[in-house]
Amino acid sequence: MDCTKCGNPNVIIKKEQSGQYLCKDCFIESIEKKVIKTVRKEKLLDKGDKVLVALSGGKDSVTTLEILNSFRELNIIDICAVTVDEGIDNYRQDGVDIAIRHAERLGIEHRVVSLKDTYGITLDEIMQKPNHRGSCSYCGVFRRTIINKAAREMGATKIATGHNLDDEVQAIMMNYLEGNTDNLTKLGAKTESEAEEFTVKIKPLREIPEHEIGLYVVAKELEVHFAGCPYAQQSFRGEVSDVINKLNEAHPTIKYSTLRGYDKIKNALKDDFKKDYSHGRCVKCGEPAANKLCKACSFIEELKGD
Amino acid sequence: MVFTLKYNNVSESREIPQEYYTIKDLIMDLGLSTQTVVSKQNDELVIEDTVINDGDEIKLIQIIYGG
Repeated sequence: MDCTKCGNPNVIIKKEQSGQYLCKDCFIESIEKKVIKTVRKEKLLDKGDKVLVALSGGKDSVTTLEILNSFRELNIIDICAVTVDEGIDNYRQDGVDIAIRHAERLGIEHRVVSLKDTYGITLDEIMQKPNHRGSCSYCGVFRRTIINKAAREMGATKIATGHNLDDEVQAIMMNYLEGNTDNLTKLGAKTESEAEEFTVKIKPLREIPEHEIGLYVVAKELEVHFAGCPYAQQSFRGEVSDVINKLNEAHPTIKYSTLRGYDKIKNALKDDFKKDYSHGRCVKCGEPAANKLCKACSFIEELKGD
Repeated sequence: MVFTLKYNNVSESREIPQEYYTIKDLIMDLGLSTQTVVSKQNDELVIEDTVINDGDEIKLIQIIYGG
């Protein structure tokens, strides 16, 4: 089979959802065009934005940085990046080093922020505690807090994350299956909070399947950290992902139809189910908090008590 | 008729078990998913429907990890 677009006989992907065969150059171009289309359609960027990329060094964040950089080259936006070092021995440092090299290559402002420096404890140390809640609970909360704080300190107007089509469809289905209507109102390409301390979050890769992002970085020979987190566990997300991927084999458009269906009902969900949160300040760190302590500080207090 | 398989820093020589043995067949035989790897034949990216030939070097790059 030859490339559907240019006739090149060296094809690297057969897109099951469209029946297209693409060569390397046409595939790379198709991914970049699609991300740019999402950015325009969802109005993710405004001229003059300073976008902070949450850069782990993995395939999704490196792709986000690479494609958003085309807007920077056109002087539409400025870019900075933050990498969170959770403190996981024999795993995290490779990603941190790769993130540093990408930031240097592109000449962008970049910070590496560690859990140890911020909270006085690493994820490895947390996992030694007898009553820990599981690595993902801490990692998610601490990372979000660190990234949001870095965005404010670096003067960023948007935070770009590497969430891809698979991540988004998993989140839609997980929250639907769990009946979590509150979380369902918070998904989407652009997430704004009423609390001004929370920077607007954008997901430029939201319409790109995870496998295609992996193929993109290999085709483009971008250096990325391909490795599994040693604390990864079989989660509900993993179970939902398995079911969706199984369905996708016989129904290759199912991820897109799930996303499109969600996008159609999102406004109705927001109208009916969006909760108003009180926005106080954490008495310990000053970050936005619904209670006396923010989630990160309440975790730290709990860990001290163990 | 043999080919070299490179996967996760391991390199091994394998017999081609049947005519028109594809990379997709190999991925299935290894108990992997085509969704989690990308494939190279003699250092060039290829689709999984590609037939493996005698003397080929097939590299599978894991791009998605569970969790």
